Amino acid sequence: MIQTIRNFFIALRQIAVGDKKYYLWVSLLSFLVLLGASAYISQLNRGLIVTAMRDQVSWGLYISNFTFLVGVAAAAVLLVVPAYLYNFKPIKEIVLFGELLAISAITMCILFIMADMGQPLRVWHILPIIGAMNFPASLLAWDVVVLNGYLAINTAIAFYVLYRLSIGKEYKMSVIGPLIILSIPWAVSIHTVTAFLYNGLSSRPFWNASILAPRFLASAFCSGPAIMLILFQIIRKLSEVEIDNKAIFKIAELIAYAMGINLFLLGAEIFKEFYSGSIHSAPIEYLYFGLHGHNKLVPWMWFATTMNITAFFLFMFPKTRENFTTLNMACLFVVTGVYIEKGMGLIIPGFIPDTLGEIYEYTPTMQEILVTIGIWASGALLYTFLLKLAIPVYTGKLRFFSKAQIVVARDIMSRRMALVHPETPVTDLIRQMIEKHLSGAAVVDENNRLVGAVSDTDAISLEIGETAGKTTADVMKPPSAAVLQDVRIQDLGKILAASGTNLLFVVDGDGQPLGTVAGSDVLNALENIRQE
Amino acid sequence: MEQDESRQRGMHRRDFLRGAALGLAGLALPLDRADASFWEAFFQKHFREMNDEEIKQVISRLEKEYAQKFKKQIEIGADKPIPGVLYGYGLDLSRCIGCRRCVYGCVAENNQSIDPQIHWITVLRFRKGEKWVDLENSEKYYSPEKVPEEEYFYMPVQCQQCENPPCVRACPTQATWKEPDGIVVIDYNWCIGCRYCMAACPYGARRFNWGAPNRPEEKINPKTHYLGNRPRYRGVVEKCTFCIQRTRKDPGRYPACVEACPVGARKFGNLLDPNSEIRYAIEHKRVFRLKEDLNTSPKFYYFFAYGR
Repeated sequence: MIQTIRNFFIALRQIAVGDKKYYLWVSLLSFLVLLGASAYISQLNRGLIVTAMRDQVSWGLYISNFTFLVGVAAAAVLLVVPAYLYNFKPIKEIVLFGELLAISAITMCILFIMADMGQPLRVWHILPIIGAMNFPASLLAWDVVVLNGYLAINTAIAFYVLYRLSIGKEYKMSVIGPLIILSIPWAVSIHTVTAFLYNGLSSRPFWNASILAPRFLASAFCSGPAIMLILFQIIRKLSEVEIDNKAIFKIAELIAYAMGINLFLLGAEIFKEFYSGSIHSAPIEYLYFGLHGHNKLVPWMWFATTMNITAFFLFMFPKTRENFTTLNMACLFVVTGVYIEKGMGLIIPGFIPDTLGEIYEYTPTMQEILVTIGIWASGALLYTFLLKLAIPVYTGKLRFFSKAQIVVARDIMSRRMALVHPETPVTDLIRQMIEKHLSGAAVVDENNRLVGAVSDTDAISLEIGETAGKTTADVMKPPSAAVLQDVRIQDLGKILAASGTNLLFVVDGDGQPLGTVAGSDVLNALENIRQE
Repeated sequence: MEQDESRQRGMHRRDFLRGAALGLAGLALPLDRADASFWEAFFQKHFREMNDEEIKQVISRLEKEYAQKFKKQIEIGADKPIPGVLYGYGLDLSRCIGCRRCVYGCVAENNQSIDPQIHWITVLRFRKGEKWVDLENSEKYYSPEKVPEEEYFYMPVQCQQCENPPCVRACPTQATWKEPDGIVVIDYNWCIGCRYCMAACPYGARRFNWGAPNRPEEKINPKTHYLGNRPRYRGVVEKCTFCIQRTRKDPGRYPACVEACPVGARKFGNLLDPNSEIRYAIEHKRVFRLKEDLNTSPKFYYFFAYGR
């Protein structure tokens, strides 16, 4: 019990204490949240009449944002698949941040639905058992099930991993493996069900197209990862987390495929609507060319289309997607493009013209925009707090108390290290060590087993001598300074003294390196134990 | 006996779960509104889950609330469907003159909000001799000096009381359903205001209370039905119920729109009675239903008694 309380305060402190930039960011977000909250309170008091929605266009900005964010949440799966199924290590290390993003995105989805409800206090009516959930007839009931399920799965995975790391243990795949496998079809399901929500309505010809679900998935798999790419770059800039360029470029490559499919599906839709030219093409005509002189969405749609096509080309060529300036431009373009296309560009034309042919042009009111900003800010705040807690746990800086206070190598090691292969050119090896400010590199074979080590003194001697044409194999030393992960700290000191180096590699039972322990780490840990 | 006990236990568990969940939700409520009737309203069960006694209690609470609010006695009925009755509606387009008396008759009867304005009937105006029922080019806000106008014809649209209603399927909380007499109704105390039914309705028949409904006390029709024209709340959906408060009485009355029509364009009756006027119209006139291709199977038949 006392441990739990102590750990709670450790977590609280971790979130509450930060540097100036952190406080500035958090207060900016809090301000926006308050702004949104005050707009929402006035909506609560006066009703949804403060929005621009009316009987003709009965859903607007809130449901648009909801739809976009379901896609962002679903896209976390794009990271999970290669990470766990194909064991693509560079992505595996960052999948946690993707899952935290999914948690934040789903939370925002739920907030948008709440903001859109006429009677939010009655939300319990939708629950099974205590309410009267219309399952399986209503697709909205399905959406409640899959979205909350997805939130639960991702929360369980992320928090289990963080919990294990925080008490200094590796997580067990036997525990979360099944959950991870489950999360893959589940992520597809949240977006499919959300598409079916619109797709299933015969009253709305614009939505009633079987291409909608595939389009949803394709556009989600471009915009979601694009948001992550930007966030990953911010994370690695502001923290000690290492995110390999390989992972970033791999994700960018996946976006290129998704983008291509997305544009193809859009083209197929446009062809069908305009070539067949039935009265059901009125909404898409409204969208791209205007209808009976009403054309408020037209400039937005062409803007979005331009953004998407430009982004597609930037992602397609390795030269532009592996250059951070053009890559970030492409990410911004695709996020903007998809936000318009499947937000307002999808919801509004479902209602224009309405079922009796009336055209009511919808432009969100200031109140709607403020509530929307407030919800986005709460999502960003949640993600910030989650990262603030997760990053130090992940890098090993933050540890919680657990029952057994036996400190072993794994608890104090640093997960940052340079991993090279024997055939890696020496020039690459040196660059990695300099870039990451490391005093040693682990040399691994194709099975990721430790076969040698390069220390900074070895590297210095290389810098003085001739590097051209040499590979790591020429300079590495046998891995004499490797310890198993569960060696107790008291023994580490002795091993360090005996090995004559300042850097020990920590390996698991298979001989795969997990991290490094420096003399200073051991000294710090011993001092901490003495004080307690 | 044993079975009875286990059923009771089941009920207890259910009630407990509900209580626990709602208790938590209740913590977030504004305190100044937390009087007893507020909580009773909050915990009110789904209409079809209540027994007659519970319905009576709810109605007496609502009548008290309404009396306080409107300073007059409002009677809330809960008449059940009459066995052997399936309501159907006919509308003779060759007679309709587009005067909108049905619209105003409906509003006078059904206690819609005056400001913001809510109408359950929409009358559309089409130009003769062009396309036929070309909704996209129809006019809803026509206002000539005099109707009918030579070059136009008119088509009133209201809830079509579909046999296969897409709105009922869409509702996530079962707050709207089709009664055995074919009327699609809404429990205004169960609707969460998500408006998915409005997206699902192909006839633009459903109305949402975007703001608090407003209606002067003297204009309140005190004869109401729980599932029909009783005063509504902000944030819930409403629509035509074929005047359930009139038509379910025995002897019943025609819906207000039928009574208001000056040219007898509106017909109403029991589809199961071979001698009813509506059956006569269906069997002898060229009837059609709106958006037949959607397979909603409306019980609202348009027809032409004579050509013009």
